[in-house]
Amino acid sequence: MKLKEFEAKEILAKAGIRIPRGVHIRKGQMLDSVQVPAVGKMVAKAQVEVAGRGKAGGILMAERENLKETIEKLFSSSVKGIPVQDILVEERLDIQHEYYLSITIDRSQKTPVILFTTEGGVEIETLARNNPDAIRRASVYPLLATVPGYTLRYLLNTAPGEIGQVIQALYRVFMEKDALLAEINPLVLTPGGLYAADAKLIIDDNALARQGIRENRDLSEREREAAAQGFSFVELEGNIGVIGNGAGLTMATVDLITRIGGKPANFLDVGGGADRTRVAHAVRLLGSMPDVSVIIVNLLGGITRCDEVAAGIIEAGVSQQVIVRLAGTNEAEGKELLYSKGYRMLDTMEEAVSAAVEAAS
Amino acid sequence: MIYADRKTGVIVSGATGNQGSFHINRMNMYARSVGARGVVAGVTPGKGGQEVHNVPVYNSIMEAAEKQDASAAVLFVPGSAAGDSIMEAADAGLDLVITITEHIAVHDVMRAVTYAQVRGCKVIGPNCPGLFSPGEISMGIMPAHLASRGSVGVISRSGTLTYEVVHELTRAGIGQSTIIGIGGDPIIGQTFADVLDRFADDPLTEAVVILGELGGNLEEEGAKAADLPVVAFIAGTTAPPEKRMGHAGAIVTGGEGDANAKISRLRDLGVPVAERLSQIPGFIREQMKCH
Repeated sequence: MKLKEFEAKEILAKAGIRIPRGVHIRKGQMLDSVQVPAVGKMVAKAQVEVAGRGKAGGILMAERENLKETIEKLFSSSVKGIPVQDILVEERLDIQHEYYLSITIDRSQKTPVILFTTEGGVEIETLARNNPDAIRRASVYPLLATVPGYTLRYLLNTAPGEIGQVIQALYRVFMEKDALLAEINPLVLTPGGLYAADAKLIIDDNALARQGIRENRDLSEREREAAAQGFSFVELEGNIGVIGNGAGLTMATVDLITRIGGKPANFLDVGGGADRTRVAHAVRLLGSMPDVSVIIVNLLGGITRCDEVAAGIIEAGVSQQVIVRLAGTNEAEGKELLYSKGYRMLDTMEEAVSAAVEAAS
Repeated sequence: MIYADRKTGVIVSGATGNQGSFHINRMNMYARSVGARGVVAGVTPGKGGQEVHNVPVYNSIMEAAEKQDASAAVLFVPGSAAGDSIMEAADAGLDLVITITEHIAVHDVMRAVTYAQVRGCKVIGPNCPGLFSPGEISMGIMPAHLASRGSVGVISRSGTLTYEVVHELTRAGIGQSTIIGIGGDPIIGQTFADVLDRFADDPLTEAVVILGELGGNLEEEGAKAADLPVVAFIAGTTAPPEKRMGHAGAIVTGGEGDANAKISRLRDLGVPVAERLSQIPGFIREQMKCH
C-alpha cells in the first residue's frame, strides 16, 4: 500500500531525515486553527496518488497572505479526476541541487537495491530512458543491518558525507517498515543541509497488520465487496464477466477472451477450494456490473468440489447468461445439477471462452 | 525427476491444520500407490505426541528431523510464521523446503531464502503448489489424476494454470518427468534458471514447458541459460499497468515486467511462445523432434 506523502515524511523524519517544515490539513478542518510554519514562501501539495501531480495542478505556490485562498482553491479542485481530501502545506526550500535516491527490491538478485543519481527531480523512468549511465545502483546483502561503506562510496562516487547518512537512514526505514519502495525524489541540497522534498513509501500489503497500518485505499463499492470476500478482483472495461480459480488460470482466461476478439469486464480469482457461498457471491458480484452481458466461470481444481460450485452458480440466479467449464472432484454431479437447470457447460477452457465471446457479441 | 524421489522422507509443518492434515493424507495415499516413503513426520508447535493420519507429530522441525529420517519439508504454516519455518528447516539440516503458504511478507521471504542458501538448503515457493513427479513423489497440493509419467518437465509461477497445461499434455499423450510450481510472489527461492539447470542434469527430461506471467524477468533469465529445448506460455498480456493480478508478483512496476515485452524477449531468444494453452503439446512435439 502506498502511503500518502505526509505519512511517508513523518516516518522519514522519525528516522532522522530532514523534511521541510509543514503541516497536514484534512478537508473540512477549520483553517484558522491550523498552525502553519512561520515562513513567507510556501507550497500547498494535494495528497493524491497520481503521477505528474505538479503538472496536473496538484501543487500550488502560496505566500503567507494568500495561503487560505490557495488551500481552499486546492480543496475545491480535483487532480486527474481524484478529489483532493488532504493537503500538505510546506515551506518552500532554497534549492541548490536535486538528487534522486530510492531503495526497492531486486527480484532476480533477491536483495534490496539502492538507486542514486545526482540528477534528481525527474521521474526515474524518464532518466533511465534518456541517461541510464547517470543512475548508480547497488545491491545490499539482505542479512546486513546497515549499508556497507564501500557500497556508499560506489553509489556516491565520493566519500559518503551527509548523503551517506541519509542513505543509511532510508535503508533502516526500508527494512524496518517492510517497504517495497522507499523513494526520496528530489533529495534537495539547501544552505541548511539535505531535505527530503518529496517522499514515497510503499508498504507490503502482507505486512500491514504487523506494521500497525490501516488500509487507506480508495476502493469502489464493488472492489470493497470483493476484498471483504477475499477475492482478487480487478475491473476492466468489457462486457464478459470472468470468474476463475488461481491467478494464472484466471489471467489466461482474460487473455484468451481478448485474443479472440472479446472484451473481458474483470479479473476475479475466487481462490482455492471455493464453496457454494463464495461462488454465489462471486457470480452475484459480476451480475451487479451493469455492462456485463455474459459470465464465464472457468474452474479447474483438485480440491474444488464441482457440485458445490454448481450449487453456488444456481443459488446466485443472476439474469445474465452463465457459461461454465468445470473440472475436478464430483465433476459429474456438478454438471448434472447445472444441466438440469439449463446452464451451458463446455468441456475445455477454449470452447467455453469461444462460447462466451460469441454470446456477448 | 529432480529435487526428490520415492526414497525422500518428507516432514510437513503446519500438520494439524485443515490444509496440512488434508494434504498429508493425499500425499501419503499417492506415496503408497507408487511405493514411496512420503510424509514421515508432521510438525505443529504444542501438538507434539499427536498423530495425523498415522503420521507422528513433533513440536519442531528440528525435533522431527532428529527422530525421523527426512531430507525435505513441505510448509502449510500461516504466513506470519513461514519465514521462520524456512530458516528452521535450513537449520535442521534439510536439503529442500517447499513453501505452499501464501501472503508471506516479502522481507521475510528475502531474509529466509538468503539464510537457507547460506545453509545449503533449497527453497521452492512460497505461494506455490509444490512438486510432483508422476510415479515417484507428491510434495504439495497438485492433483495427481491429471498427470502422467514421461519426459517433459513443467515449471510454473501458478497453480491451476499448471494443472490445465498438465491436463492438456496428458490428453495429448505427452507425459511429465517433474512438475514444479516455483510460486507467484515477487521473491521466490528456486527460479526458472535454477530448475532448468536441474532438468538439464536429469536423464528423464527431454524438454521443458515454462509457464510464466507478467512481473519481473525470471522467465527470460531462465530461457537464456537453458540447455534443454524450452516452450513457454506467458499469462497476463491484457493486464492493466500497476494493477496486481492476483499474485503478489504479477504486477508491472516502473515499466518492468510487461507480459507482451516478455513474450517478445523470449521469442528473440528463439523460444517458441504459445498464444493458447492448446498449442503447447504441438510445440513440445516439434521441439523434441528438432533435438
